[in-house]
Amino acid sequence: MWSTIVSYIPGWVIFMQAALTLLCPLGIYYIYKKLYAFVSNAGPKMKANAQPNKDSTADSQVSGQYEADLSYVQQAIGGNSDVNFREFVVQGYELRAVLIFVNGMQDEESINRHVMQQLMFGNSGMKEEGQDSRETLTLSALKANLLPLTELEEVTELDKLQERILFGYTALLIEGIPAGLLVGQPNGSIRAITEPTSEALLRGPRIAFSEVLSENTSMLRRQGLNKNLEMKVYEVGSLVKRKLVIAYMKDIVNPDLLEEVKTRVSRIDMDFIAESGYVEQLIEDNVLSPFQQIQNTERPDRVINALLEGRVALLLDGTPFALIVPVTFSMLLQSPEDYFERWLPGTLLRLLRFFAAFMALMAPALYISFISFHPGLIPTELVISIIETRQGVPFPSVIEVLILEVSIEILREAGIRLPKPIGPAMGIVGGLIIGDAAVNAGIVSPFLVIVVAVTAISSFSIPMYSAGITLRILRFVGMMFAAVLGMLGTILFILLIFIHLTKLKSFGVPYVTPFSPLRLSDWKDLYIRAPLPLMKRRPEMMKTQKKKRRN
Amino acid sequence: MFERSDPKITSTQAAIFLTNTVLGAGILTLPRSVTESAKTPDAWISVLLGGGIIMLVIVLMVKLSQQFPGKTVYQYSRQIAGSIPGSFLSMLLIVYFIVIAGFEIRVFAEITMFFLLEGTPIWAIVIPFIWVGGYLVFGGINSIARVYQIIFPVSIFVLLLCYFFSGRLFDLNHLRPLLGDGIMPVLRGLKSTILVYTGCEVVMTITAFMQHPQQAVKAMLTGIGIPMVLYLITVVMSIGGLSVDSVITSTWPTIDLIRSFEISGFFFERLEFPLLVIWMMQMFCNFCSFFFNASLGISQLFKLKMAPIIFGLMPFIFLATMVPVRINDVFAIGDAIGKMGIGIFFLLPVLLSLILIVRRKGLKQNV
Repeated sequence: MWSTIVSYIPGWVIFMQAALTLLCPLGIYYIYKKLYAFVSNAGPKMKANAQPNKDSTADSQVSGQYEADLSYVQQAIGGNSDVNFREFVVQGYELRAVLIFVNGMQDEESINRHVMQQLMFGNSGMKEEGQDSRETLTLSALKANLLPLTELEEVTELDKLQERILFGYTALLIEGIPAGLLVGQPNGSIRAITEPTSEALLRGPRIAFSEVLSENTSMLRRQGLNKNLEMKVYEVGSLVKRKLVIAYMKDIVNPDLLEEVKTRVSRIDMDFIAESGYVEQLIEDNVLSPFQQIQNTERPDRVINALLEGRVALLLDGTPFALIVPVTFSMLLQSPEDYFERWLPGTLLRLLRFFAAFMALMAPALYISFISFHPGLIPTELVISIIETRQGVPFPSVIEVLILEVSIEILREAGIRLPKPIGPAMGIVGGLIIGDAAVNAGIVSPFLVIVVAVTAISSFSIPMYSAGITLRILRFVGMMFAAVLGMLGTILFILLIFIHLTKLKSFGVPYVTPFSPLRLSDWKDLYIRAPLPLMKRRPEMMKTQKKKRRN
Repeated sequence: MFERSDPKITSTQAAIFLTNTVLGAGILTLPRSVTESAKTPDAWISVLLGGGIIMLVIVLMVKLSQQFPGKTVYQYSRQIAGSIPGSFLSMLLIVYFIVIAGFEIRVFAEITMFFLLEGTPIWAIVIPFIWVGGYLVFGGINSIARVYQIIFPVSIFVLLLCYFFSGRLFDLNHLRPLLGDGIMPVLRGLKSTILVYTGCEVVMTITAFMQHPQQAVKAMLTGIGIPMVLYLITVVMSIGGLSVDSVITSTWPTIDLIRSFEISGFFFERLEFPLLVIWMMQMFCNFCSFFFNASLGISQLFKLKMAPIIFGLMPFIFLATMVPVRINDVFAIGDAIGKMGIGIFFLLPVLLSLILIVRRKGLKQNV
């Protein structure tokens, strides 16, 4: 009895392996924890930094004493060569006034006509009505009677006034009035509105967001009449401040989601937010995940559709890319065109994209595992023809795949930077000639060229560029798994991705909804794009206030 | 916010959890083991009968668990039987789960080495598998249930596809005569059918995690019904396609069945590859269920956090996997697990229910 038991006690090698089983994941776990703690400690803190419509009271207010205010401003920003001070006298009141603006950013004509002319000549009639108006020129009277401008903002803090002037506003200071008036909007040069380059469509609106926030919000407003589209402005960036607009449908959005977005935005702490990508990275759920948890788009129609599904959009000044939260995995494979075309073509394209995503992720890994490990599992004739073409190839399949994949990636990266006229030419040279030459030189097999080309094209068929990058990264990981354990490695890789995806959340919404948690009613907008009359409800996963899309 | 942070699963998830816990190794081993003991084509009746018995067992387990809403067997066993006997019973269940986990991986590794990775050392297959399983178990019940929900439809689809195509080999004469040797062979076959349903003990823990525990009976019966039907189809198809004699002599009859026909003009020609892929995923689910339940048990028994236990269990599961030396030892362990399962059944749900009834009805205690 005892000896039987002893004979089953494994040898010390097994125990060493058991120790390895324990130590490796412990090490990985430890490193992950450290890394996560490091990243999140370095990141945004819990305190609220940006607040909507900040009402901080600065020390120096506009006093209304002309000399003092003017000299204060002159001292602070008068040293800049492009800041101009145009002093004049308000006719009829004999008050001194000054216009302060930055060269090249004022709207010359409108200022001349609506401010200078009005104040210097236009109010002669008023004086006759009331002789004592010299004493009663108040702020409200000025705004009501003298300045025929739609956009007129008053600023009482001198520091804020200086910031605005330097940003391009034209400021007006008048003797006796305890506020600075911003009479002219910044009028810098802006880019014309173009087609969305990163999300081009054959059918659909050809309008894309531009760099100017007011243009972008107006594009959203112009999508249609609606009184529930609400936009809240935040100021982000501690050193160089920028406007960030949170847009949502008041009557649809889940209030909890909105609250979460607001708290995360107010936690942003950075000296300058250069692009919405900064915002994305500062408010996302999991920094260490390869999957994007926030969608970026430059299409207003995409944003408005997302808002109607109960999502929230973030628009940053100075970038044409708006952010949409929360995002789920299936959204990355959807394109607005699916809805613009009829439902059958839309469904076909959907299915095609799912297949393409699978190919882009797995094709090289499958090639490696089949060729190197399990040639017996593919049909015999196919295997013979593949083996024949691989005859002269001196490398194991993983090296072979890596050579070609890496060159394709380099080519793709270079393609973005190539000057437009020679781009296509280089593409042909790189893709066709190198591929062909590599086959002729016997470095790679022609079958692999097909695999790699299909992979590359597949990853371009994914409508979201950033999602394509994710798949590109993961493809290399998958190749490593396949190279070590063949088919088993590939399956473990797929399982790892599944597990990671189920753990991932975007603003509290599980990333793989509606696959799991299963929401069958959302499946009509997943693999298939159901006919529009069937899409009566908003996505269940968003837990919106209004469930139905119709009255 | 959107998702409940407390560990609760829906009734669908619970049913799939049970299905994925039970459906696994049996797909490949059941036809041989059941025909070996029954020795007649009536083996499929044993599967049906075994399933019926297991369903009764599950109803008992669910009813017991429903008496203690939100509590797992590890918690209420101490409440019913007292601290020390309860802990002992929980320990027994934990050891049982660990042994099954090791057994599942071992079967998995044997098949992988046999069909896919010849010459690969066994540890190279087992260790990464345990690691990936650990990663899943870390996510807790929610994560596990979601992964199962993704894998489940794919598995069912591929399995049914394989059986559908193997229908061309099906010969009804292989299944005849019906009950030619009387009812005895069917009863002999029951022994091995019980083994494929081992793992249904997880019912006593999943019920605690259900969002609507009142639906537990329906969910769990669905959860066991799906593997029962699939096992039934497996056995019927294997015997009908290969005949009783070849099923008994073949080690992995299901794979032999799928291998024995080719679909010309299809990319794969033979369906054994997709079958193996989904079977591997299914084994992964099996393993993770037991891994999770074992670590949950330890954590609730000793009031520890999950993370260190998950790490701590990894080497033990590895050792449990490596203890059998030859494949015959593996099958011997399989039989032992079947017997242990019956023992566990009498010790946990039956005994606990009896004590509970005695204490509540007889002694009028408030348990």
